[in-house]
Amino acid sequence: MTNLIKAETYKILRNKTFWGLIVSITGFSALLHLLVILDWWLVSGTAFDQTGLSDMNAVISFTMPLVFNLIVSTLASFYIAKEFSQSGVIKNQIMSGNKRTHIFMSKYLVFSLGSIIVTLLIPFITAIVAVILFGQEEILTFSNLMYLGRAFSLFALQFLSFTAIVLLIAIVTEDSGKTILFTLLFSVVMFAIEKLITAPFIKTLYEHTIFNQFSEVFKVTLTNGEIINAILVGVVSLILIILCGIIIINRKEIK
Amino acid sequence: MSKHVLRTNNLSKKYSDDFAIENVNITIKKGEIYGLIGQNGAGKSTMLRLVTGLAFATSGSIELFGNDNPKKLADAQKRMGAIIESPALFPNMSAYENMEVQRLQKGVPGKDCISKKLELVGLTDTGKKKVKNFSLGMKQRLGLGLALVSDPEFLILDEPTNGLDPMGIVELRELLKKLHREKGLTVLLSSHILSELHQLATTFGIIHKGKLLEELSSKELDEKCRQHIRIKVDDSSRGATVLENHLSTTNFEVMQDGTIHLYNYLDDVRTVSRAFTDNGLVIEHLSQNGDSLENYFSKLVGGVGHD
Repeated sequence: MTNLIKAETYKILRNKTFWGLIVSITGFSALLHLLVILDWWLVSGTAFDQTGLSDMNAVISFTMPLVFNLIVSTLASFYIAKEFSQSGVIKNQIMSGNKRTHIFMSKYLVFSLGSIIVTLLIPFITAIVAVILFGQEEILTFSNLMYLGRAFSLFALQFLSFTAIVLLIAIVTEDSGKTILFTLLFSVVMFAIEKLITAPFIKTLYEHTIFNQFSEVFKVTLTNGEIINAILVGVVSLILIILCGIIIINRKEIK
Repeated sequence: MSKHVLRTNNLSKKYSDDFAIENVNITIKKGEIYGLIGQNGAGKSTMLRLVTGLAFATSGSIELFGNDNPKKLADAQKRMGAIIESPALFPNMSAYENMEVQRLQKGVPGKDCISKKLELVGLTDTGKKKVKNFSLGMKQRLGLGLALVSDPEFLILDEPTNGLDPMGIVELRELLKKLHREKGLTVLLSSHILSELHQLATTFGIIHKGKLLEELSSKELDEKCRQHIRIKVDDSSRGATVLENHLSTTNFEVMQDGTIHLYNYLDDVRTVSRAFTDNGLVIEHLSQNGDSLENYFSKLVGGVGHD
């Protein structure tokens, strides 16, 4: 599988969409931080406000499902789905004698890492850099750094399940446009469930999904029970989605 | 160590209610160049897709390098190189970069193999030119380079001459002959053009409507396609004597059923029949036989235009 991971890394590093996202997210993120720090864009009522991290409020935009959805699905479209459709290079990988499970896992690992870099790491790093450049580094206290560490670690755990879902959508649809469309649709459905459905059973079910955890993990105070719950939701979802992916790729006929 | 590189046992693939291939049994021995011939839609690509693991059989089994355990088939596939339908390439990468991806996923150590294979397929001077700007022939050659990057023992090529110009076809043929001769490479090629495979293959499998109609060696095919006069006389041994003494020819064969296949005098059948009758032999049958490769193939599959 090491060979496959090396091949996937080589491919993503030569993927124009990946670099395009890095450049645009860096620029966009820097701009948002600038607007927030200079008070040109007033964001309030976030969890960051309660911890004194208001100057990093722009990071919150990247943790909104509809925003990271677009970023991740774009990467999945042009990095994963394209291999199944236009270029058909997935054929070479399958015929290379590697196990399909290994092919799926290598794609998942590199795609997830790429998604984390673009969606989480870049906004976070630009936030830190902007805060330091504008002389606001005093907000980066030990307790705030601990909070950020906890929140982003838990968020990343949920995010790993999300990238697995998007990867699955890309593999099933084999089409760039459909990958973006179905991922967006999926997030809209989850949003609708959160806001519109009042049935207790569905509400409880939703509360135990990664979509609920995406906002929960940023709460300023989390009890140990809530942290364990977030970890369990993330890990169980991840295992289940990856198992689904492995089953699907092992049964999939390559056109 | 198995002598067979590939053996299929009643291999079938069904899509909805139709069989794309049905109970196909082919055997490819080590060092053979096996030509799989069939019309478009005959099931050639399906067959190759099953062997390469892109699709799954509805029933039957595949034995690759003596290994018929479906779970371990992937390991055996590591010893293979293949192009199915069209070469699968990254359009925004150069030839070298495409080769590098293939080298990495095949786990081939060292980068020397890339330049060697690019040289072998005549793509050393493409530099940073992106594959999307390659001609069809260049793409086909790069596809072949990818298939050869790990020095496979078994090469599978689906319609490899598609998009190649006449010179490209000759070059490909010579390259495959060279690899076969020097490295003992076993090759499975598919084509719908019999004459194209005839110059290369050592064994042929003729597939039609998903069924393997015939499997024969190139020698057997040549025999079947050789033009001759088929003669049946009341006494075949005397008939042979007449040919030797009166027509001064030994270019004939007496077959097991007593018929004589005469390979010359094709334009002078009257002389042949007169020689027999003048020597008191009764001619029971006399006809000109033998087909061109295309005629033989079309007769086998049920005539031209039959699909």
